[in-house]
Amino acid sequence: MTVRELLTEMKDTSEVIVDLAYASLMYNSDNMAQKVRDLENDMDDLKFAIRYKALLSSRTKEDARQLAGLLEVGAAADRISNAASDIVSLLRFPPEKRPLVTDVLLESDERIRMIRVKKESDMVGNTIEKLAIEANTGCKVIAIKNRHGWTYDPEDDMKLRANDDLIVRGTDDGADLLTDYAAGRKDWDFEEEVLTEAEVEAETEEDERVEAELTEELRGEEEE
Amino acid sequence: MKSKLEVMFLELKDTSEMMVDLAYSSLLYDNVEIAEEVIALNDRMEELSERIQDEIAHVSRAMPDEVARAVVTIRLMDSILEIAAAAKSIADVVVRGLAEHPVLAMSIRESDTTLCLAKVAPDSILSGKSLGDMSLATNTGMFILAIRREDEYIFGPDCNSYLEQGDILIAKGPEDAVAFFKDVADGTRQEF
Repeated sequence: MTVRELLTEMKDTSEVIVDLAYASLMYNSDNMAQKVRDLENDMDDLKFAIRYKALLSSRTKEDARQLAGLLEVGAAADRISNAASDIVSLLRFPPEKRPLVTDVLLESDERIRMIRVKKESDMVGNTIEKLAIEANTGCKVIAIKNRHGWTYDPEDDMKLRANDDLIVRGTDDGADLLTDYAAGRKDWDFEEEVLTEAEVEAETEEDERVEAELTEELRGEEEE
Repeated sequence: MKSKLEVMFLELKDTSEMMVDLAYSSLLYDNVEIAEEVIALNDRMEELSERIQDEIAHVSRAMPDEVARAVVTIRLMDSILEIAAAAKSIADVVVRGLAEHPVLAMSIRESDTTLCLAKVAPDSILSGKSLGDMSLATNTGMFILAIRREDEYIFGPDCNSYLEQGDILIAKGPEDAVAFFKDVADGTRQEF
């Protein structure tokens, strides 16, 4: 893996691990807690791998300076995953000793919820990617429980089946919307993109140009 | 009704999450102002944690049975503060001018959760509406972290925050939601 891939992986892991840690407290799940500990071990491997790669790639003084910054970001991702693993260690206390924790998790801006996919739902048989669940509802799927057991941080090509339980993180109205879809009370809005490949490409290029322009605008301001 | 402790704790947790998101934003856009906000939020976290400790001490004195709960709460608070401190250390990289390595921006853009900028056009359906009115996060999949209006930043806007034309939005979400979100902001798309 390259430094870039390692850092991407570390950032992704640091985000999913915190969600899983909170979810393990909410659902009193040792199984999820174990996944958090596994991810934390992976993170330790990533941390050493990125240091090694970064040191190898350093050629000049300026390289070394900027790589020092990059490694600090990797270290921050590692700190976050350590914190997540400390959070799951609270499972050793019985649930009635941590009511505040559960209440707070239920009230946060972005909450964690469990949603069952009913057989009536037209989500059944489709992949997470096809549904674009997060883009359509603002809810990120952090775990799925089906007849084979738990899958954490599921891949996009994972298919949903009737009676799967989804653990999602999102805003309240987003989770309500997803609950309606999953219960079959609302038809999924499958988006049929009618744009040609060339149009998509042109639009992507335009988006990138605007993004670069706005980035400049944010930066330019500091130098005044 | 929520207890005083619960309200403070909720703020602690939500702030820690916003700090991480803003820290990555400051990194991606190499933006010192956003980084400084993260550092300021960390100071607020420390203050908040002291108030939480006082409140826990107060509650536990009245109800000795609460001690085990107090231990759990304080330990969770420590983990949340550690997450906030990690966010601050990312912001610190930006303040020190060490966020220029191109790999940093690339790895944030390639993450499962990405960040993007969008400017609200005069004819956008977002212009003049509040985030809550539009259920923007639900309808677009993108969550607004900050708004830059004129030369000021509005950090962590809530559902009552209004958007105006010319606002630059810093948003996080999945990559497959970005194009749609930008179309809504620039007025290309007139409905969700």
